Order: sequence, then C-alpha cells, then structure tokens
Amino acid sequence: MALTTIDHSALKVNQTGIVATVLVAFIGSYFVRGLLVLIPLLAVVLLLGTFAPQLALFKQIYFKVLKPRGIVRPHPVQDRPEPHNFAQGLGGVFLAISSVFLLPLAVVGLAIALLVAVLAFVNLAFGYCLGCQIYYQLGKRGLIRA
Amino acid sequence: MNSQLWALAVAGTVVLAAAGLELWQSRRARDRALGVTAAPAVGAIDPYILYFTGESCTVCRTHQEPALAKLAGVRVDKIDAIADRELADRFHVYTLPTTVVMSAEGQSLHVNYGYAPANKLERQLADARTGDLRATATA
Repeated sequence: MALTTIDHSALKVNQTGIVATVLVAFIGSYFVRGLLVLIPLLAVVLLLGTFAPQLALFKQIYFKVLKPRGIVRPHPVQDRPEPHNFAQGLGGVFLAISSVFLLPLAVVGLAIALLVAVLAFVNLAFGYCLGCQIYYQLGKRGLIRA
Repeated sequence: MNSQLWALAVAGTVVLAAAGLELWQSRRARDRALGVTAAPAVGAIDPYILYFTGESCTVCRTHQEPALAKLAGVRVDKIDAIADRELADRFHVYTLPTTVVMSAEGQSLHVNYGYAPANKLERQLADARTGDLRATATA
C-alpha cells in the first residue's frame, strides 16, 4: 500500500479531543451525572470518523477552524492512514464497550474510558500508538494486510 | 469511595500491569535476541545496524529514520519486518521500530525495541567497536 501525505496535526487534535472529552465526562460526572453521556457520544464520533473521515468531528474542527485560522500549524508526514484509522476505531469500540457498562457498573465503564484517554495521551505526548502496534501484530500474523 | 475514585484505581492498576508486562516482554525478547547471528556485512570491518521497520510504522518515519540519518558512515540495513518475517522472528521483533547493533562478524550486540535515539545508538556502536578491537587484539 502506498504512502500518502497525512497531516499529523489533525491526528494530534483528534487525540486531544479524546482526552479532553473523557476528562470532562470523568470529572464532570462527579458533579453532574448526566455528563457521562459524553462517553457514548465520543464512541459514536470515533466510530463514524473511522469509516467516514468527513464525519470525524475533531479532525473537521482542525481542518475547518484551527488550521485556516492558524491556531494549529499543519505537520504533513508521508504516512499510511490505515494504522491510525484502525487505532481510532479500536478506541471507538472500547468506548462503546465502556458505554454499555456505564449504567449497570459505572466503575468498569469509567475505567475503560480512562484507559482509552491514557492511550490517546501517550500517543499525543510520546508518539507511541498502541493501536498501530496491534495493527502491525495482526499484519505479521497475516490477519490483515499491513 | 465513589465510582470515579474506584475507576481511577482500576485504570491505574491496568496501566501499571501493562507497563510491567511490556518491560518483561522487552527483556525476554532482548535476552533471546542477543548473540543471534545474521549475514555479516560483506568486507565490513565496522559494526552495522539492522533496522526493522514497516509501512504501518509512523514512529519509524518521524523519529527513527532521522536518528539513523545522524549516524554518519554507519551501514544501516533496512528490513521490512512484515516481508522478512523469518529474520524479524529470529530477532524477536515484537514492536516497530526495532534496531539491532551487529558486530562486523554478524552477531547481535545490542537490541532496541521501540525508538532508539541517535546518541544511544552511537554509544552502542562505540561499545561494539571496542568489543571488536578487543577481539582483534586477543585473536
């Protein structure tokens, strides 16, 4: 599969959006329980964005608002989009699982959501993408075309 | 304790367990990969680097390749870990990038799983050169 130019700033904005949303839901739900609804909403945003990039909310905020106004500078890199989309989709799936647990077992639901936020933060701060490593392992075992 | 604190404790425990597991896996893979041989560089008198990468590896392009480019005059053999699975498995490559500092005779001396900065690789190469010199002196 060929390399293409990917704006890594869009990925960073996406990761920031994930961390911020989970933190608002996590801390905010201590005061207003209704804020937990942000977690299933975030799951929907991530899953939609995985299959239809034009619906990726945080990336669209970057491309339509942050980049044109010069708030975030672009960082184009020759890269492949598949591992990043896979990682985002994995985050969406885990947030969907987290959402299922939120009402009957809030501790489990919140813990899963926190783990997704931690992994997004690790990717944002240190460039380590666990989803991309899983993508590599699946490719190595011939389960996907990596 | 409320749900938030319990969730924080659970997530923290999982993160710590995952970090411990990664450390253990990395040490085990390194122990198994040290001393493994590959084809020696033809006519080489200097240590060289095996660099395992893949198309899906972003850190390889954004961090590892610029770091390798800083190592002037060092031979770097770039290997696609997916295409050359046999070699990747021999060095227990479980993450990308992986860099292996090889002696001129084709024996692995240092294995780095994950991004290895240029200064770390330079130290390892210097160590490998010293080892080679010692081997030459005692031969």
